[in-house]
Amino acid sequence: MNEMLRIACVSRRFGGIQAVRDCNISVQSGSITGLIGPNGSGKTTLFNLITGVYSPDEGEILFEGKTITNLPPSRICHGGLSRTFQITRLFWEMTALENMIVPIRQVGFRSLLGPDMFRNEIDRAMGLLERVGLTHLKDEPARKLSFGQQKLLEFAAILMADPKMVMLDEPAGGVNPTMIRFIMDLIRDLNKEGVTFLVVEHNMGVVMELCDHVIVLDQGTKLAEGSPEMIQTNPAVLDAYLGT
Amino acid sequence: MEFLRRWWKLIALLILLAFPWVYREPYYHSLGFFVLLYAMMATSWNIMGGYTGYKSLGHSAFYGLGAYLVAIAANKLGWNPLISAPFLAIIVALVAVLLGWIMLRTSGSAFVIATIAMLLIFRITALNLREITKGAPGLSQPLPPWSPEFSRMPFYYYILFWLIVALFVSWYIRRSRFGLGLVAMRDDEGKAEMVGVNTTLYKILAFGVSAYFVALGGGVWSYFTSHISPIYAFDILVGVDMILMTMLGGLGTLWGPVLGAFILVPARDLILFKFGSTSIYLAITGGLMMLVIIFMPKGFLTTITDWVENRHAPRAAHQGARSMADIYDSSSEKKQGEDESSHE
Ligand SMILES: Nc1ncnc2c1ncn2[C@@H]1O[C@H](COP(=O)(O)OP(=O)(O)O)[C@@H](O)[C@H]1O
Ligand SMILES: [Mg+2]
Repeated sequence: MNEMLRIACVSRRFGGIQAVRDCNISVQSGSITGLIGPNGSGKTTLFNLITGVYSPDEGEILFEGKTITNLPPSRICHGGLSRTFQITRLFWEMTALENMIVPIRQVGFRSLLGPDMFRNEIDRAMGLLERVGLTHLKDEPARKLSFGQQKLLEFAAILMADPKMVMLDEPAGGVNPTMIRFIMDLIRDLNKEGVTFLVVEHNMGVVMELCDHVIVLDQGTKLAEGSPEMIQTNPAVLDAYLGT
Repeated sequence: MEFLRRWWKLIALLILLAFPWVYREPYYHSLGFFVLLYAMMATSWNIMGGYTGYKSLGHSAFYGLGAYLVAIAANKLGWNPLISAPFLAIIVALVAVLLGWIMLRTSGSAFVIATIAMLLIFRITALNLREITKGAPGLSQPLPPWSPEFSRMPFYYYILFWLIVALFVSWYIRRSRFGLGLVAMRDDEGKAEMVGVNTTLYKILAFGVSAYFVALGGGVWSYFTSHISPIYAFDILVGVDMILMTMLGGLGTLWGPVLGAFILVPARDLILFKFGSTSIYLAITGGLMMLVIIFMPKGFLTTITDWVENRHAPRAAHQGARSMADIYDSSSEKKQGEDESSHE
């Protein structure tokens, strides 16, 4: 297997807090990799570093072998790396369908100014909305959707950018068991279609069932990694979770 | 009603075309000119301030720069202002792109303050660059060759043409992916960047476009008044007026800025005529503005159309939705088409 994403010796501090510390992580292409760790262990910060929201104090981030350190987030997205947010972020005043059209992988000036290519994309957007069961809400402003629908919309929308790799920040957080099941199936289907996943999740059941590789983060650095079974029985991991 | 909905744009255009022949006094031609001028400039400002949500208070800088470039070109090179203005405005737009590249690193109130600072710098420069601008007393330029009693009419039609162009540009941008990105940035700029919108580029381009028609307006105005000086060319109130009109009519809508100009410019004239004082106009517009912000934060147009919509179609989606739905459903369904004309 090839390496899709590599985080090499990355550190980042906020004031007195060392949020990420000399972190080394690698995500194999085609995998569903889980990223777990106690609250405050730096998972979200790591996502923000990878997607260019913050730049690392030290270290390098490579996507498909090329460095993406210090690139603006839009460029990273164009490269094929998309993410969702722990707290769902959408364009609240825009409709579900418009929220689908905004994400974009690569644009030239012609597609920027030509409304013509909309039709094509609208068809794709409708297909994806159908896939997550939101077709009937396409003209509703995003803020009017329910919590779960908003999560689905955010997920569906980033797929419009045609990502090679998707990073999900707690996709099962706060949603009901039926929806969790649905999201898991969606992730698995997309994975079969070739999308690599890095998933932060607190729900261990989800992680164990979904992921083929799990990385454990503690205090901003990698504590352990391995198959879900190995992680479950790793004493250091149990220690970090149960606390001392 | 159906007839009006379908044809109101054409009817409005015909009325505007006929207006100078119905009201023949130069005063009306002059008033009409300013209404159209401000409608155009507010439309231009709205592309940045309305669609993107970056509210520049310093657009008078582009107005003044356009005015001075046109006047200087007329004096030094003998260029006809009505021909040179659209070209010289391109230079101003490029200047705006350059300044935007610097200023748009800020946002919110920091951006507003940066734009005011920009305006002050332009004004001080115009006051002190005496070899070129003649300083505080200002610059004169040749009068138009038309007979004086007739002289306002060409300006009126000229600016009417450019208002239509500005509206077309605004409409086209709003319909394009570029415009969709701008509106998305207004909701959540960080998220827009994250899903692949090059927000820096979008903002700078929008800033340049929104400076263009304001600069063009300044250039035409300088020919119209034939004498310009820094305090009038770089007057912050010119920019404030564009904002008031846009907000009154409907921020971020296509027709809102036009509606606002059609209300506020005649109102300003009326107040000036009645009370003969600019400060009373300022007090009244200020008060009006507060009322609008408190009771109709979205402006007349959006408030009224929302109201109509809620009566006729309780679940109709909001405006942006419709423009998108239009494209998607343009041939098949037209059930929402009823109150559409008021938006477009
Ligand atoms: N922008 C920020 N400013 C200051 N501290 C931050 C910032 N982002 C994260 N942190 C801190 O970094 C640590 C890691 O947080 P986070 O990455 O959100 O953890 P997790 O997602 O694993 O729960 C926390 O202590 C948090 O308070
Ligand atoms: Mg987190």
